[in-house]
Amino acid sequence: MTQGRRIGISLLALVIATALWLPLVHLVFSKPASSFFQPTAVSPRARELAARHLQLWTDPKLRERELQRMRASNAEWDFMGRSFLVWSLANISLRDPATRPGNLETMDRIIEETIRLEQQEGITFFLMSYAKTNSYVVQPARSLFIDGEIALMLAARRMVEEKPEYKELLTQRVNVIADGLQRSPHLLLESYPNECWMFDHCIALSAIRLADHLDATDHSQLISHWIAMAKQTLVHPESGLLTASFTTKGKPLDGPEGSTLWMVAHSLQILDEDFARDQYQRTRKELGETLLGFGYAHEWPRSWHGPADVDSGPIIPVLNISAGSSGMAFIGATAFGDEAYLKSLSTTLDFAAFPKRKSGALKYCASNQVGDAALLYAATLGPLWEKVNKGLQ
Amino acid sequence: MKTNLANRFWNFCSADFLSPKDLIRHAVLIVLAFGVAHAFGLREYTSFLNGTTGSTELGYELSALLGLIYLLLYFATVLLVPILFLAALLASLWHKFHKSNLPLK
Repeated sequence: MTQGRRIGISLLALVIATALWLPLVHLVFSKPASSFFQPTAVSPRARELAARHLQLWTDPKLRERELQRMRASNAEWDFMGRSFLVWSLANISLRDPATRPGNLETMDRIIEETIRLEQQEGITFFLMSYAKTNSYVVQPARSLFIDGEIALMLAARRMVEEKPEYKELLTQRVNVIADGLQRSPHLLLESYPNECWMFDHCIALSAIRLADHLDATDHSQLISHWIAMAKQTLVHPESGLLTASFTTKGKPLDGPEGSTLWMVAHSLQILDEDFARDQYQRTRKELGETLLGFGYAHEWPRSWHGPADVDSGPIIPVLNISAGSSGMAFIGATAFGDEAYLKSLSTTLDFAAFPKRKSGALKYCASNQVGDAALLYAATLGPLWEKVNKGLQ
Repeated sequence: MKTNLANRFWNFCSADFLSPKDLIRHAVLIVLAFGVAHAFGLREYTSFLNGTTGSTELGYELSALLGLIYLLLYFATVLLVPILFLAALLASLWHKFHKSNLPLK
């Protein structure tokens, strides 16, 4: 046999082997969706992720190292990692009351430290540096990003168990947000100087909704006005998706962004259920993908060209996979019971996010603390929203 | 003993280009390289994928480079190695069924 013929046979064998193997790879990493999320119990994955986060809050050295790594890239992640963890622990506590005492202790520690840092260092401590270079349109400067997430942390904690000291703190935040929205000519508040975010508005309105539930207040008119305004002025016409960011006058700064939309759709579930489902379905159609059994998400729809940024994370070319959007897609998939998509996302997570397990604790090396906390939230969400929607105490 | 080991290693290393043995040899080398990267803890540095540095001491660029090395070796192990083994198997079967006179070096 000639050398050329032998090489030709080997090349053909490589092509056949590739065609055989690639469609099968996902089976190596595939697990039932229930290993990630269970609607009535805490899934094994959620327990492992929670164990890692509780370790971070009991081991100061470990936490310091993790925070340093994240803050070197983005101070926001430090803050959001706290928020997602508190919201997750609230859901876990409601789903598994045996975990409540330890979880409440951690939630209180996080909330108190976060508020202390905000007061000591100012709002810019948890913001990216450009928050310091321009001045806010509305003075005195406040960031809806900070107010909304702290309010939702306080409300989530109180949904698990009442803490009188937090009642006043929550009322103050809710009043600041509600008054600010009502005073704003366009019902919009800044997170950064003249930069308003859909994500932050939906989180803040969710916090108000929880506060209404807890304290028998009524901001339903404000919420419905805001939703009506958003449907009318903040929707990207080509895709029907909500835009991610805009000025205080409602002029779009970014188009629809995956790292925003999955969470926005979930937040809308307690604000306007039909609109929430509509946004999820559109986001899923425009941004969600499954290829050879692996699920992932784009940051932008085809009708909008945006750059990779700190929210999207680096975008893998050709397939346009965004780490940020793919991570947040877990929240959408679990919130809307999209089991097939969740299973494919979970397969990708085990394939390409490099899980590392130690003593019952799990972290994803390709992620970071905020990424893992968002995954933990996706793996535990449900009980808080159910309580509000069903009017349960 | 030393000569014997050296011979065996040399035999392993020498193979015709793209012969089944060559494919297996490459698969083994990839697995070994990945094993070394894994043992040295390079998995931790894959956080560059979300823009987070793997180590503040090493800095973002060096951490990202280590993460990228791990990433390439990992995907080579998970995607390429089974393909190389399968291709070696298929090529060997072809040679066997066609009673090739070429030795599977």
